[in-house]
Amino acid sequence: MKQFYAVTRDLHLYFGLFISPLVLVFAIGVFFLVHGWLPGTIQTAASRSVGDLPVPTGIELLSGREQVNALRGVLDRLGVHGEVNFIRRISKEHRLVIPIVVPGREVTVDLNLETRSASVTSRGDSMWSAMVYLHKMPGQHNANIRGNWVYLRIWRWLADTTVYLVLFLSISGIYLWAVLRAERRIGMALLAAGAFSFFGLVYAIAR
Amino acid sequence: MPSPADRLPSRKSGARGFADGFKVWNRKLHYYLGLYFLFFLWLFAFSGLLLNHGAWSFAQFFPNRKVTIFERAVQPPTSARDLEQARDLMRQIGIQGEVSLNAARTDLARLDFNVSRPGHVYQIQAYLIQGRAKIAHTEYNAWGVLRTLHTFVGVSLDDPRNQRDWVLTTVWAYSMDAVAAGVIFMVLTSFYMWWGLREKRKLGLAALGLGTAVCGLFVFGLRWIYAG
Repeated sequence: MKQFYAVTRDLHLYFGLFISPLVLVFAIGVFFLVHGWLPGTIQTAASRSVGDLPVPTGIELLSGREQVNALRGVLDRLGVHGEVNFIRRISKEHRLVIPIVVPGREVTVDLNLETRSASVTSRGDSMWSAMVYLHKMPGQHNANIRGNWVYLRIWRWLADTTVYLVLFLSISGIYLWAVLRAERRIGMALLAAGAFSFFGLVYAIAR
Repeated sequence: MPSPADRLPSRKSGARGFADGFKVWNRKLHYYLGLYFLFFLWLFAFSGLLLNHGAWSFAQFFPNRKVTIFERAVQPPTSARDLEQARDLMRQIGIQGEVSLNAARTDLARLDFNVSRPGHVYQIQAYLIQGRAKIAHTEYNAWGVLRTLHTFVGVSLDDPRNQRDWVLTTVWAYSMDAVAAGVIFMVLTSFYMWWGLREKRKLGLAALGLGTAVCGLFVFGLRWIYAG
């Protein structure tokens, strides 16, 4: 039993230290998402135009991941890297508008399929928007193309790992607290108060 | 009068007493906060997982939704503002929740808006001259409620037009702030506790360093690597 306690305590400590920077990123992102405000969001956009692009024929007819993969050559030629957020097709004007995100910076490629040219606009360069973006990723939107950049696939794995470790830390934390007899009463009171606040609030909102 | 030699130990013990007290309360607050926020943490952790894995079949909510369409007679609201009109209509229909107004209004005889709260979405089309409102009520299952609780803040970084307007959204939003602040506090208290364990500093530094490096890559590094 003593050994189990010691191992649990060590795992609680080391896993906790490992994920603490990730937990801080998720926690800090909460304040911006909850209040719909981000410092330094009004930033001037830098624009450039590039012509003679190797646009694959029929690219506008593709969809989902296939279209993203087909566009990679064009994006590489433009020197634009990151996660393709979505692809908007403007059929009448033979254009594809593609926002590409590296955490903290968004580049929009406006690709003209007729002239095989593109205007590239870069916006934002901040760690706060990186935190907000990472908090929301991979998320529930555009699931069919999400994870089209290797780093976002890694982040997906890290976000999952953070959740599993938080669950482990909370369960091991309960065990480590329960061992402390002197703290049981006040701990139980706080647990009950937390449960009352949580379920009361959820009931009031969702009923 | 006590000599300087007499005073020195008492000053030392005072400082030590404060340090010991700080250590004890740092530890207590770490697990007190953890216990108080336990259910909130589990909700946000688990719902975060659901949001990142929309394809998990056991947690589907959209295909299982229930939609009810009905009509109600309404009195035209007297207020000039869209939000006030929407609230007046909600009172008459008997629904509560967070209002989101649709795109800029062109027809003053009609008001379209949505009202949502976790598990429920109402799409309302009010025909003010005719004195009637058409309501589409979509009801989601518990998985839908869980997902919405994660994101239910009433504002959006992408749409500054909509502001929080339901008191319970505000309460929920501030409880999210409290959970985030509590988590940050727990991380800081854990650093202090760990640093006090001299024999665990090296391995702890390795774990923290690895986590910081990974996190730093995503928050700062990628923008630097892919500059331009």
